[in-house]
Amino acid sequence: MNMISEILSYPFIQRALLASVMVGILCPFVGNFVVLRRMSFFSDAISHSAFAGLAAGMLLGIDLSLSSIVVAILIAFLIAFLSEKTTLSHDTIIGIAFSGAIAAGMLIIGMLKSYRADIFTFLFGDILAITTIDLFLIFVVGTLTIATLLTFLKPFLQITFNRDLAYVEGINVRFFEYLLFFIIAVVVTISLKIIGIILVTSLLIVPAAAAKNLASNMKGLFNLSCLFGVISGIVGLMASVYFNTPSGPTIVLVSIGIFFLTLLKPIIRK
Amino acid sequence: MNALSVENLCVKINNIHLIENITFSIEEGSIVAIIGPNGAGKTTLVKAILGLIPSIGSISIFGIPFSGKNSHINIGYVPQRLEFDRTFPLTVSELLSFTIPPIFSFPFIKKRQEKTYIYRLLETVGAQDLADRSIGSLSGGELQRVMIAKAIVNEPKILFLDEPASGVDIEGQERFYDLIMRLNKEKGLTVILISHDLNIVFRFADNVLCINRKLICSGKPAEMLTDEVIKSVYGEMMGAYIHSCHEHD
Repeated sequence: MNMISEILSYPFIQRALLASVMVGILCPFVGNFVVLRRMSFFSDAISHSAFAGLAAGMLLGIDLSLSSIVVAILIAFLIAFLSEKTTLSHDTIIGIAFSGAIAAGMLIIGMLKSYRADIFTFLFGDILAITTIDLFLIFVVGTLTIATLLTFLKPFLQITFNRDLAYVEGINVRFFEYLLFFIIAVVVTISLKIIGIILVTSLLIVPAAAAKNLASNMKGLFNLSCLFGVISGIVGLMASVYFNTPSGPTIVLVSIGIFFLTLLKPIIRK
Repeated sequence: MNALSVENLCVKINNIHLIENITFSIEEGSIVAIIGPNGAGKTTLVKAILGLIPSIGSISIFGIPFSGKNSHINIGYVPQRLEFDRTFPLTVSELLSFTIPPIFSFPFIKKRQEKTYIYRLLETVGAQDLADRSIGSLSGGELQRVMIAKAIVNEPKILFLDEPASGVDIEGQERFYDLIMRLNKEKGLTVILISHDLNIVFRFADNVLCINRKLICSGKPAEMLTDEVIKSVYGEMMGAYIHSCHEHD
């Protein structure tokens, strides 16, 4: 008990804990749409697009969060635009954007004159390095994102259920789809510093997938996914400090543990 | 007044005409069946009218030019095969509440008024016991009734049904078409129905549109669905058989 209170007394742990709670709510909330709309590969492509944005930011000497967010949004819109305008399947277009972004990022990194260690913070995440400004940014973006999704929850869920029916019922499907892609790009990018490019998609989809295993209605899905996200964040962070393991992967492994536990539901029911 | 007017409607994909220069109009309050063989363009025609696929030509609903985009005309639509994730954790009452305006409101806090409205809506289609059931657990017939309830949430004046009773058992089909007739009579709903079942067309439709990429004929089923027309639409193996049996006493 004393050990826990001692750990919690460190300001960087307090910041990390707050960040994991906020991202633990935000990512699964958005992740529900990613899971229900089967867009996991899309969110993966967006997180890897942020890598190209980071590289561009380093080359141009601009803020890395800003450059990664701009490139992620541009790639998200490019995927949506090409899906509309070509006859190629959605996953083929995502695959092209995904590999293109990684290739561009690697090319730009190769052009840098000096070694940049901070790229590893974004690749693998470092929740313990979260600053007060980062916390403030996550809070503002997270509040705006959840407020937007809650305000337009009806059209978002209608489109998720069936695109054609939503269109006939007078919903501007195109606008709301672009808005959702924008939101996914923003949420993925602001979570990068915590969980890293490689693992950020898992925080979007794993708690939402676990909640889908248990929930019988939409209200339950949203509540459970956020609960699982927060538990994964807190337990994962504390376990990483206790066992001296990297925080991002520990949080993800805790969420995967919860996911496997939810798979026991049919067995317990019998 | 015409509920729907379609003029020179064409749908062309990769330089192939899926439907060509179709012109017709449908009177308000009528039930019209669209018939034709597989691949005749029946679903394409309905999707083009609804703006779900690009088309050339002009469409007006209740005299108002209709482009499908952000239209303020209330339209009900039940697609042929509803494509959705069966594991979607969504109850019937949640699904209906998404459709109830205003769209900028939180759907999980249901007002008493909204709950009553959803119950009445489900009662109208004989599905009041399904309110808390998961949408993925419904049978074909139950799902069709729920989809009709969803289609009439905003009290549309026109309802498009694309083979709505396919995959539903005979008893379910009877209940379904009785419901459509009732909505047509009580609410004055104009119904446009795609069907392969000529028996259904004879029994329920006021008018029929026979299409095979082009409009072959239109008019009253008894006048239009002659042996000759059916053979020209469906091929030589088909023909009309009007039986002379009367109901048993």
